[in-house]
Amino acid sequence: MDILEKLEVLGAAAKYDVSCASSGSKREKHFGIGSTFSAGICHSWTDDGRCISLLKILFTNECIFDCAYCINRKSNDIKRATFTPQEIAELTINFYKRNYIEGLFLSSAIKNSPDWTMEMLFRTVWLLRYKYQFNGYIHVKAIPYASLDLIRKTGFLVDRMSVNIELPSEKSLRLLCPNKTKESILKPMEFITKVAEEEKNFVSAGQSTQMIIGATDDSDYKIINLSQHLYKKFKLKRVYYSAYTPVNHDPRILKVDSPPLLREHRLYQADWLIRVYNFSADELFKSKDENLDLEVDPKVMWALRNLDKFPIEISKASYEQLIRVPGIGIKSARRIIKNRVFHSLDFEDLKKMGVVLKRAKYFITCNGKTFERFLIDLPPEKIKQKLTDKNSLQKPQQLSFFDREVFTSVITGEI
Amino acid sequence: MYKIFLYDGTFEGFMCAAFHIISEGIDKDRAIIVSKNEYQPMFIDSVREVQSDLKAFLEMRKGIIEKTDCSVFKKIYYAFLSDTEDKESYILRYLFLLFTHGKKIKYLYSDDIVNAVEKMAKNVSREIGKYMGLIRFCETNEGFLYAKFEPKNDIIKPIAYFFKNRLNEFCWAIHDVKRNKVAIYDRKKVQFLICNTLKLKVTHQEEMFQMLWKKYFKSMVIEERKNLKLQQQNMPKRYWKYLVEKN
Repeated sequence: MDILEKLEVLGAAAKYDVSCASSGSKREKHFGIGSTFSAGICHSWTDDGRCISLLKILFTNECIFDCAYCINRKSNDIKRATFTPQEIAELTINFYKRNYIEGLFLSSAIKNSPDWTMEMLFRTVWLLRYKYQFNGYIHVKAIPYASLDLIRKTGFLVDRMSVNIELPSEKSLRLLCPNKTKESILKPMEFITKVAEEEKNFVSAGQSTQMIIGATDDSDYKIINLSQHLYKKFKLKRVYYSAYTPVNHDPRILKVDSPPLLREHRLYQADWLIRVYNFSADELFKSKDENLDLEVDPKVMWALRNLDKFPIEISKASYEQLIRVPGIGIKSARRIIKNRVFHSLDFEDLKKMGVVLKRAKYFITCNGKTFERFLIDLPPEKIKQKLTDKNSLQKPQQLSFFDREVFTSVITGEI
Repeated sequence: MYKIFLYDGTFEGFMCAAFHIISEGIDKDRAIIVSKNEYQPMFIDSVREVQSDLKAFLEMRKGIIEKTDCSVFKKIYYAFLSDTEDKESYILRYLFLLFTHGKKIKYLYSDDIVNAVEKMAKNVSREIGKYMGLIRFCETNEGFLYAKFEPKNDIIKPIAYFFKNRLNEFCWAIHDVKRNKVAIYDRKKVQFLICNTLKLKVTHQEEMFQMLWKKYFKSMVIEERKNLKLQQQNMPKRYWKYLVEKN
């Protein structure tokens, strides 16, 4: 098989991995080709609107495992291919110097054995770093059941490592991944966290993970609660959510006609709230089996349930209060605090600072005044109705409804 | 009567002109800075040509940073690279505000001049950010990497310095086709030249890698998630002209 065909097969096989970040690396640069950029750089966008930052490929798609949701599972009759470390290194260098990519994202199916596979990933990045003196970003998957020693060796050569948690609960994992156990995923994850704390230059851009959304009946509460746990316990940099794309027909998987993209988007927003805005999963969800509201973003959902905490007064509110107002983000909150020292702020000023008044106006006062009279006494249903009227998402699952607003922040989830 | 100050079109030259206006106490509403190439003579104006000199430029830079900080200086530089008409007059007024208000200028969101300069700087910085990822080099028979682009703003300098750090092991040239400016790097330093046409031939290998990249680009699409609108929103069409994967 020639390199063109391999790239086609093993690129397509990797596309369901949603991570694309190339940011946050703190590896010291000595010499050699390229550099990393702390904010990360997108190099292109595919026809589905997702950014390409790294050359995202599998080392091989020949797999001894048989996970129900995976296109590469053993029981599927698909075209199979395997790269050599040399081929990947050459591709990476040549794409990099043409500025197509920011670096390499290398994942793999499990061929022969977990250790064989991990060894190949190690050899590939070793070749890149030492023979080719490559200094760009590298993200490598840690393979479940691979020896911790191999994972450790690899970790010193890469910017980021990740183990996919795959599914939001042990029950779902047992149902869909007969070959993987919770242990086989959490053990390497914990190991990476531990070594990263002890050693310099070990996965300096941190660890991430991803899980599939919508293939099982796990609730959003369960998902966000798990993420919260992963951020706290394993100090993960990111948890990625991947709306399940029906690639296999398998009775164990919930039937989905199209990937639940809007749900995925809401989960990213909720994730952002717990990671950056200091919300907790318990605060966001009223009861434990609950799902996020698809009609409004999670911050609005939370605010409507907590109207007794509003309105807040812009000239007095603390930073913590400000960032909880729908429509006010980290940046606007900081600006408000710095600026109100100089003069009192009115709604026009807030607009210029980037506050989205469409949402915020129901929850704030400026110098004791509301945006329009009677705004504050509105009942939650009324506010919600007003907030959803314009982009009326009556059929939230339909692709045609994904207008600009809904999708501006698929990956960041910033609201 | 207006006092017209002509400068050589460079950022340094502009700052020197501003330096003279401010240090000589000339009324801000009567002073206009215009690039030499764009000035159309009007006989009622008093016209003065300002020579770029390093001392005045450094003095000005020091003053700005002392009054505010480096981020404001960078903002002014980015705003200057903008293709906004009359950028000079916005920035000059911004400088006057800066020397009156100091650090506070960063928070004067409601001031129109501050707002306009912020917007210009943001626009430039966004374009620089996009082009860091969207510039495409090809390998030439002449032995260097070559990239063409047509930015809206005049950003070849910051772009060239970004690639000086990134592709420091290669020789390369970046060509702003719209302005006929070329940045050339010889593994030691970057030089900026004016250049109309460049006749180059790509290597045999180059065609293969372009093909590989196109193939890869296509294979990454998840059909079920297709969203061309989102693609265009992230990567507006004006960037497509020189993108391998889009041609």
